[in-house]
Amino acid sequence: MTNQKTNSGHNPASFRDPSGFLFSRGGILYRQVNRVYEGEYVKLMGSGLYERLVKAGYLIPHTEVSQPPLESESSFKIIQPERVPFISYPYEWSFGQLKSAALATLTIQKRALKADMSLKDASAYNIQFVRGKATLIDTLSFETYHEGQPWVAYKQFCQHFLAPLALMALKDARLNQLLRVYIDGVPLDLASELLPTKTRFNFGLLTHIHLHAGAQRKYSGEEVKSRGGSMSRQAMTGLIESLEATIQKLDWTPRGTEWGNYYDITNYSDAAFEHKKQLVGEWSARLKPALTWDLGANNGEFSRVAGENSAYVVSWDIDPAAVEQNYRQMKKDNTEYLLPLLLDLTNPSPAIGWANRERDSFGQRGPADLALALAVIHHLAISNNVPLPQVAEFFAESCKWLVIEFVPKQDSQVKKLLASRVDIFPNYTREGFESAFKEKFEIRAAVEIREAERVLYLMERK
Amino acid sequence: MHFAPLPYLDPGSGSFLIQLAIAALLGLGVAFRASWGKIKGWFGIKPKQTEDDDESENK
Repeated sequence: MTNQKTNSGHNPASFRDPSGFLFSRGGILYRQVNRVYEGEYVKLMGSGLYERLVKAGYLIPHTEVSQPPLESESSFKIIQPERVPFISYPYEWSFGQLKSAALATLTIQKRALKADMSLKDASAYNIQFVRGKATLIDTLSFETYHEGQPWVAYKQFCQHFLAPLALMALKDARLNQLLRVYIDGVPLDLASELLPTKTRFNFGLLTHIHLHAGAQRKYSGEEVKSRGGSMSRQAMTGLIESLEATIQKLDWTPRGTEWGNYYDITNYSDAAFEHKKQLVGEWSARLKPALTWDLGANNGEFSRVAGENSAYVVSWDIDPAAVEQNYRQMKKDNTEYLLPLLLDLTNPSPAIGWANRERDSFGQRGPADLALALAVIHHLAISNNVPLPQVAEFFAESCKWLVIEFVPKQDSQVKKLLASRVDIFPNYTREGFESAFKEKFEIRAAVEIREAERVLYLMERK
Repeated sequence: MHFAPLPYLDPGSGSFLIQLAIAALLGLGVAFRASWGKIKGWFGIKPKQTEDDDESENK
């Protein structure tokens, strides 16, 4: 899904499946269900499957509305799905988030089979986090199941879920970034090549990835109908359970300092930390933002402070271990308003897919009402050499209100960054910072943090 | 071979064939588990609850 629309009004993320499509009108997102999908839609709603999946939190609820269709000739019904608070993509998810999405997809498939239906696609983009849970947002993903029929989405499931999860768990957690390049999931021959040899001794990975990749190579372009073959319901159950067991066993727990308590390795005192929390709490209570972005959120401690007064908070961080820890914590606490996501602020998620319009960039999903940029300015301005006016411009495009921490050169963290390089940043001073940001923002408050050399600012975009 | 209407995804020839082979094998496992459960049932051993109950909430 995306915030954009094409000239015809269609949502540019929704065009492959002839069953229907998304469109927006008056700022509201609707889904047109086409007549070709009438039978399947009636079965989904009539069999009780829709109700059971929605009740258990696996499927997005919708209401049938009397809006005029966008394409009346093909239209059967218009539905209005519940609004997803924030659209995110699998290359922004931590290992645990992708695993939850994969297991949710398989549970939905198992429950669908019991109602004689089956998922006709298994795209990771059909899953979004709603109330903290991996939820299927494509109501038109179901088709009638006929015994004998194989799972048409098997290949897509392996590419979108199993391959990246196996690579993350058994090779390197950063390999989820392959999903940013391959929009239809990691090609299985590539996954097979990258995975360690020992994975050939794991039955699930041997069959669903290695042998699967081999079969793709061998039978590429061949017609399958002539070969016949059919799959019993028992065989279908076996296949889904095998995928589930294989994924259940995959795990990723970062080791060593990566997994430590982030705030134990910071350089400021408890008093400074509490003072910062107090200010973030007071300012967000005053603003009551609908959408808050915590940029450089670590494990989301300040996101939770802002969350007390924000409708929804997205916790962005560059470190997969921090995002994982944040996700596990929110799952444990049943936090519904928070979404931890992976993001490199110096190279944010681009717009990708067909015509570069299928998946929105980071910026297209904003601006946020409030952004927190705590202890990040030195990473952008010094580690990444971005001049302060350009940093200010980036934040002005990302949010209406900004809480930003200035970390001066005297601070030990900045000293560390400058230890190995020549200081080519004469303007990196409190005055230089303020004058750069005043171009784009009104400074509403500036408070020196107790027991620290840092300053916390509240700014409003001009 | 029956496909429901509108299989808009290409299942892929190789993916399709390997799926049939793997699933046939795994199906045997499911059948064996069911029979074994019955045999154990004759001796009064209750099966472990492995089946999804169709209602439990998303976690």
